[in-house]
Amino acid sequence: MKQLSLAIDLDRCIGCKTCVAACRNAKGLVDHASALPGAIPYYLRVESDRQGVYPDISIRSWVMPCQHCKNAACIKACKAEAIVKDEQTGIVRILAEKCTGSRACIEACPYGVIQFDAARNKAHKCDLCWDRVHTGQKPVCAEVCLTDAIRFGEKELLKMELEAEGKEIVKKMSAQSMLYFRTPG
Amino acid sequence: MNSRWIPTMCYQCKAECAILARVEDGVLKEVRGNPRARGKACVKGMAGVSLEYSPDRLTHPLKRVGHRGEGKFEPCSWDEALHAITAKLRELRDRGEAHKLTASFFPHSITDPKWRFLNAYGGFINTALPHCDSAKIVACIKAMGGVPNHHIPPNFASVPKGGVIILAGRHAMGCLDDAAVPRDILDAKARGAILVVIDPVFTADAAKADWWIPVRPSGDTALFTGMTHHIVMNGLHNKAFVENWIREGDFEKLKDYLADKTPEAMSAICDVPTRDIVKLAEMCASAPSVGVDSFKGIMLGQALDFGHAWTNFLAVTGNIDNPGGQPLPDLTPLSPVLPAPAGPSLAEKGWHRTGPDKGKFGKYSFIMEPTWYEAQAIKNGDLKVLVTAECNPALTEMGQEEWRKAVTMTDEKGQYQLEMLVSYEIMLSETSRYADYVLPDKSYFERWELLYMPWWYNFGHGVALRQPVVEAPGECRHSNEVFIELGKRLCPEYFAFKDDLEYYDIQLAGLGLSVGKLQDMGGLWSPGTTGFRKYEHGGFGTPSKKMHLYWEDLEDADQALPRVFLAPEYDADADAFPFFLISYRTIFHQGSGQWTHNNPQLRDPVGGFLDNPVLINAATARRLGIEDGAVVTLRSRTGSLKARAKCTERIRPDCLGLHHGFGSTVGRVAVLGGGVSDNALIPDSGMTLDWQDLVGGESHVSTRVTVEG
Repeated sequence: MKQLSLAIDLDRCIGCKTCVAACRNAKGLVDHASALPGAIPYYLRVESDRQGVYPDISIRSWVMPCQHCKNAACIKACKAEAIVKDEQTGIVRILAEKCTGSRACIEACPYGVIQFDAARNKAHKCDLCWDRVHTGQKPVCAEVCLTDAIRFGEKELLKMELEAEGKEIVKKMSAQSMLYFRTPG
Repeated sequence: MNSRWIPTMCYQCKAECAILARVEDGVLKEVRGNPRARGKACVKGMAGVSLEYSPDRLTHPLKRVGHRGEGKFEPCSWDEALHAITAKLRELRDRGEAHKLTASFFPHSITDPKWRFLNAYGGFINTALPHCDSAKIVACIKAMGGVPNHHIPPNFASVPKGGVIILAGRHAMGCLDDAAVPRDILDAKARGAILVVIDPVFTADAAKADWWIPVRPSGDTALFTGMTHHIVMNGLHNKAFVENWIREGDFEKLKDYLADKTPEAMSAICDVPTRDIVKLAEMCASAPSVGVDSFKGIMLGQALDFGHAWTNFLAVTGNIDNPGGQPLPDLTPLSPVLPAPAGPSLAEKGWHRTGPDKGKFGKYSFIMEPTWYEAQAIKNGDLKVLVTAECNPALTEMGQEEWRKAVTMTDEKGQYQLEMLVSYEIMLSETSRYADYVLPDKSYFERWELLYMPWWYNFGHGVALRQPVVEAPGECRHSNEVFIELGKRLCPEYFAFKDDLEYYDIQLAGLGLSVGKLQDMGGLWSPGTTGFRKYEHGGFGTPSKKMHLYWEDLEDADQALPRVFLAPEYDADADAFPFFLISYRTIFHQGSGQWTHNNPQLRDPVGGFLDNPVLINAATARRLGIEDGAVVTLRSRTGSLKARAKCTERIRPDCLGLHHGFGSTVGRVAVLGGGVSDNALIPDSGMTLDWQDLVGGESHVSTRVTVEG
């Protein structure tokens, strides 16, 4: 299957969360009049880990969007058949009109990226900017990334690009359709 | 659906990046970096949409009805507010005390009409940025004769392969200069530049660095001086630059001064191993370029000494206005608006504004007065009318408690000693709680401004237009429009233009432009070049036309060459207060507080920075029996506060860290709590000035504390 993907550069992500805020604005996830910290939906989040102890430490950060899994657990869990993996793009989408609000997908997702809209009784999540990619644009997170740490493209092409540049794909983090990479050494 | 991207300028922080704002049917929806200006906007900028539509927006003027500090107001009309302010200012001037007006605001630009009003009326500007880069700016002026605006970081986009980037007490990836900075630093690194971070805290920058040096707070002056010693004494300096561009005799004076400032001696002060000082010195001496970005030195006062050590280091290594080195500003030829008001004489009218220490300020050399003067001056009877805009002295400035006390002091008749306090706000803040009149300001998405900086990070020198992209709510009026109105009433000879747009048109005529033309051009004008080694055409701006390493005007203050010892607040009370509290920053919050602290996106745990835990080294915490997340009490000689402990490997064992200027409790989001202001612990500011950098205009932002679980 063809697969659109994001490739996240662990050497360049500074954990600034610009992508999170831009995504929220673009997707209309923030009701500015009533939003409160801790209660705003998000389609991607920033994670980080530390190695070593003072003063010899290193910290790396990365973003965690929907992984648009090859065999998505959310698709299997949804009895209403409201979640589909698009053959043209590999994007995993939740079809709002079919979603019954069972939350089974949220339970099933190993990445914890599916949001629930209680007012509409619908699950929702990152669709890799479905509307934008069909008009030749990048997903918002890749467009706004402060350090150009997020690349967008077809997964196989991104892999070739990274290989040509001598980058190391961190396979442990790339079990699904997103790629995480670094410069070796 | 009518949707379009409109170019304008961000103002979620002082960097003022060029942005595009997407407006859909009259509603602001999204923000982006403007690709014509190196094209980045940070998380604060993105969250500006929430600021614009905050339910906390002020929409009409308010008049105080309770005591100052109570925050009790009733609505009033603009006519009533302006009448009262005009009457008070007229009375002040009639009794010969016009200089007892201070307006506290961020001077976006020398085109700012507020600045013109102050010069015409005879009052003073206060930058509200005493903890910023003023000492470094003074050092730049003294050493190179350049008059920079803002602090002029290295041009990271020009750092060559092998060039060294040093971030010393600077959180460059917090986008303080421009949102393009993080990308440009990483691009430089990708092409072979070396990134060195000198900081007691392992910052986001340190996470990307080739080398993190956890220096002792305020040890940076000694560190740079030790490097300068090694370079000069071993003949590793840039001989051509030293011979041609350093004033005759200065290099010899520097050598004499450096004689005992060996890396060993400096290591004992800054707690960086001697071998590391030597290694960094040799790395810098052999590199094609070295650029040093710093803030005010490592978190403490005595910052002019750091500024001086910094310019000396750059001079002997020849890293002045070269690609990757320290840029010199350039001037954009705007037209003056005539007649130009001269402004009050700081020497005649200004020195007395510093209370019992006024005699010490004879060498005070920064043109704008830091906030901590306000408390002193009010107590002295030397400040009678204070106008604040885009700043928050009651919370985010050192000496906040003294400021709060001073603005509520009364005389024997029960009248406030500060006769009037006016606060322009887009939402209520700690400061506005003390105001007699609170005026509803326009946000940066609703107003016109012409931004002019002699050197701008993202495209060299030039001008940029901030323009309204949406309608302002209610009766909001931009502070600049109101200051022009006050100017027309009080000093009409200097305000013989129609409005802010006509004022900017006059200035733009020097470039053959007008606001309309600039708008048609996309709101940005630049000659398109930064230029390097501009001093080769006509020399430096100093009297000798060369760099001055020795500052004879500061001989009396014993600062003709940098003092290398630690700042006085480092050693003060060391026995009683064993830890050093240092401030740090994140990309999520800016100094003035309210706009980011009361923003749901920037306080969100997923999208921003929720509260303000105190960073404590994990080993230190174990030793003290403090567990991660426990509430601890910090105590200094003047205050105490409780904060959540964050046990981390990211800080020196002898230091504690707090995000600077946090702790707002006014507003729908801020009132939820979470976070404290380090200013509550910082003594001295506004009280005795004993620890202030009296010749550099800096205020210290750190202090000694105890921590108890």
